Amino acid sequence: MIFTWQLFAQTVIAGVSIGVLYALMALGITFIYSIVRMINWAMGEFYMIGSYLQYLLVVYLFGPGLWYVALPLSALAVFLIGTVIEPILIKPMFGAAIERKDDYATVVTIALLLLLRNLATGLAGPYQRTPGSNLPTIMLGPLPQSGARFAAFVCGLAAIALFYLLLKKTWFGMALRAAAQSRLGVQTAGVDVLRLDQAAFGIGVALAGIAGALLAPVFFVFPTDGIVTTVKGFEIIVIGGLGSIPGALVGGILLGLVESLGAAFISSPYQNVYGFLLVLLILVIRPSGLFGERARLA
Amino acid sequence: MRRTIQALAALSLISAAGAPAYAAEPVVIGLEIPLSPPGDPAAGQLIRRGADLAVQYVNTVMKGVLGGRPIAVDVEDTQGRDEAGVAGYRRLVSEDHAVGVTGFFHSSVNIAVNEVAKELGVATIGTQTSAADITAKHYEVAFRTHAIDPIRVAAFIDFARKKGFKRISVVAETTDYGIGIANEMTKQNEEKNAGLTLQQITFDHATTDLTPQLLQVQAFKPDLVINVGVGQPLDLMIDQAATLGLLPKTPMLVSYDAPVRPQYWQLHPKDGAGIYFVAYYSPSQQLSPLGQWFAKAYQAKYGEPPVYSALNGFGDVAILAQAVDQAKSTDPKAVVKALETGTFKSWAATSVTFPAASGPYWHNWSPPLLILEYTAPNQSWRDAPVIITHTGTAS
Amino acid sequence: MDALLTTTGLFKRFGGVVAASGVSLSLRPGEIRGLIGPNGAGKTTLVNLITGIYGPSGGDIRFRGESLVGLAPHQIARRGLLRSFQVCRLFGNLSVAENLLVADLARGAHAFAETRQRAARARELLDITNLARLADQPAKALSGGQRALLQVACGFMVPELRCYVLDEPFAGINPVIKDAIVELIRQANEQRGIAFLIVSHEMPVMRRLCHGVSVLMDGHIVSEGTLDEVAAHPQVIAAYLGKSWA
Ligand SMILES: Nc1ncnc2c1ncn2[C@@H]1O[C@H](COP(=O)(O)OP(=O)(O)OP(=O)(O)O)[C@@H](O)[C@H]1O
Ligand SMILES: [Mg+2]
Repeated sequence: MIFTWQLFAQTVIAGVSIGVLYALMALGITFIYSIVRMINWAMGEFYMIGSYLQYLLVVYLFGPGLWYVALPLSALAVFLIGTVIEPILIKPMFGAAIERKDDYATVVTIALLLLLRNLATGLAGPYQRTPGSNLPTIMLGPLPQSGARFAAFVCGLAAIALFYLLLKKTWFGMALRAAAQSRLGVQTAGVDVLRLDQAAFGIGVALAGIAGALLAPVFFVFPTDGIVTTVKGFEIIVIGGLGSIPGALVGGILLGLVESLGAAFISSPYQNVYGFLLVLLILVIRPSGLFGERARLA
Repeated sequence: MRRTIQALAALSLISAAGAPAYAAEPVVIGLEIPLSPPGDPAAGQLIRRGADLAVQYVNTVMKGVLGGRPIAVDVEDTQGRDEAGVAGYRRLVSEDHAVGVTGFFHSSVNIAVNEVAKELGVATIGTQTSAADITAKHYEVAFRTHAIDPIRVAAFIDFARKKGFKRISVVAETTDYGIGIANEMTKQNEEKNAGLTLQQITFDHATTDLTPQLLQVQAFKPDLVINVGVGQPLDLMIDQAATLGLLPKTPMLVSYDAPVRPQYWQLHPKDGAGIYFVAYYSPSQQLSPLGQWFAKAYQAKYGEPPVYSALNGFGDVAILAQAVDQAKSTDPKAVVKALETGTFKSWAATSVTFPAASGPYWHNWSPPLLILEYTAPNQSWRDAPVIITHTGTAS
Repeated sequence: MDALLTTTGLFKRFGGVVAASGVSLSLRPGEIRGLIGPNGAGKTTLVNLITGIYGPSGGDIRFRGESLVGLAPHQIARRGLLRSFQVCRLFGNLSVAENLLVADLARGAHAFAETRQRAARARELLDITNLARLADQPAKALSGGQRALLQVACGFMVPELRCYVLDEPFAGINPVIKDAIVELIRQANEQRGIAFLIVSHEMPVMRRLCHGVSVLMDGHIVSEGTLDEVAAHPQVIAAYLGKSWA
């Protein structure tokens, strides 16, 4: 291992920038769980859909110069796909006939995962693709960052901030936060929770879609590109606490830092193990996560 | 999936022959390839293309095996995972009664399967697996038609000598393949007194960010970076090295032939030039008549010239079919015997044999190993200059 | 006068348990009706049936002339029929003020337009309930009594409220807050003409508040009238034997 302070600073910056991107993924998972009370195992596949949509829009319609036009369109499309899928697959979970709702959600979303993955492989082939990027390399302190990754970092932070404002400052956000506390409570206060579920599912998968679209030029686009970031998303939820937005952000950055510093200065092959060790540590000292508490949102 | 392919193979055969002359049960050849991650599905698909065309070749041009029985290929997805590979092999042997199993792309899968194969007795042919242990254990059933680590590394050292590179960073994934190359590099550097200063950095194949590793590489100030990633990390390393300014200042050598795939320039439109890479085939090479048939059929079917993965996938299925013919039997033991003693035609000009040689050269036939250089963006690999050619021997 | 809320022959079975076996009950507009009965009599079940949490196995529920059977809880809430819960269902991580605002969601889309009026109503309720200084605290920081008070207050945020069903609003609450809740109910009844169906075991409070009571036992109504009238009913005496009512 080579150590200089310059190298250390660069490694820290690399860790923070990747951590923010991981956090975006965790947000979507945590959000859907808070409202609909189910883990969406197919989250990575919505990331994948977002990445392919961005690829298609950039390559066939807008060109890499207009990636920021493609981004909201990709996110919107993933949102719509989510709102179409939810009533078909997720909503029946709340019907009286289904007794073990967790099992149902697991089976259904894993089936969805396989379906979407195979569909993508069938339609697009197993190859890696990239929408490309014209953004120039940017110096982030002493560390050169690819323009696309820096843009993803900035947009990732902006998406997290926007999402936070939506929850904190809007009428709709209040309904979502209330539903995260008590589904029955909002129902008897006149809220159609099934519609709310639909919107929440759409928003949650759209967050994954945004992550996929942002990271399309950074990590390439392929049918299983969502797997790794989803795993990170679940790790971050344990670290930051289920249902907490600051937790997702802090957890993401912590995970990014631990992985980067561990890989650079301890031992490189265990890069993915450091995050896991952090998860274990958190489970021992604070099982509900750094910011966690049952069923909170924001 | 496998049933469908069998059915399709039989169907294509009937339509090709125009008569139900081949009512006989097809002779099944197993294909174990990665079709989903963590494996390299792109490689798996290319091998499968070759294997599919081999079925067509054997059933139409060779008129089947054993005097008229068609062959069929049953596919198992190894996902690049040992357990999946082993389970697939067991199914191929016990349910499909495969006469031999080939297609292997990931070394660790091939090694794991061989441990089971030596009990079950059905031959394996490594199509694109290079770890020494696959043949170095001298199992009766283990065969291979790919460049092994020592040959590959010998070529790297030749290449470094020719270019005058002294400080070399070997950045390798922690798979049998990556670790094998990295360790062999250290070993041959000492044995041959090559005088290279090596930095060895290994990383998990599932890593999404190689920036920390590449920062270490940059601080080492190497003359050459050897990229021993397979699939996505390989491309990630090129991208991130370019961002950090390592590329194009410090040349990079890619350890296998991924850059010949059509996606390469789409993925690296700006940073792809100046990269050296290993290839096992260049159009300047002479092909066998079999190879020429294949190149034509492949071009017609896929609209592009074949690459090595497809060529070798084709060759290995064709070799197994010839072995069945030479054995005059579908008995796996007889097929193993025939493989060891026979001479076979594959895509390369030289014929294929699997002698019981020493060390990793046991049951091993290696295609020639080339190192090419992309000298301009969007260059076709067929036009890339050949920097060195290394024949299939270690020194 | 036409009834505001009527149930006729309501049935509800949970496996072997029959929690409602033909409950018929009627509430006039502006009436405060008490619902009493021993533990396990089926009071909460009846509330759950009326507010759409459970679908009845048989019978009908009519509110302002329309059947509620088959409607979802939020649809019933939007018709002006609200409820509180025996086990408090506040949103613990939301502030006290936000809890009041969430209640206003019952009004559907047009609530969006009335931000100012809504805030004014919330402020007024916070003042009446003495919770103003806790407005920005998370609801989970409140005492049990304050929570009960806030839960009842939430319903009054909704201008369209016609009928308010309260499930044990006074259980385990100190006299000061009990009086505050009684006051809240009485005011809403007198000034806005809201009808109440109040489930409670607190006889002194019921005596002060209710125009009449219904007695539920083993899933059906056994007696109706003023508190003193039903207290004379032999079945009621048998069930409450040894208990002092006044
Ligand atoms: N969801 C349910 N599943 C099964 N049984 C239930 C359910 N809800 C209520 N019961 C049963 O129905 C009966 C009536 O219960 P309910 O809660 O309505 O009584 P209650 O009059 O409200 O009692 P309490 O005074 O203790 O609140 C009880 O025997 C109870 O066990
Ligand atoms: Mg009750």
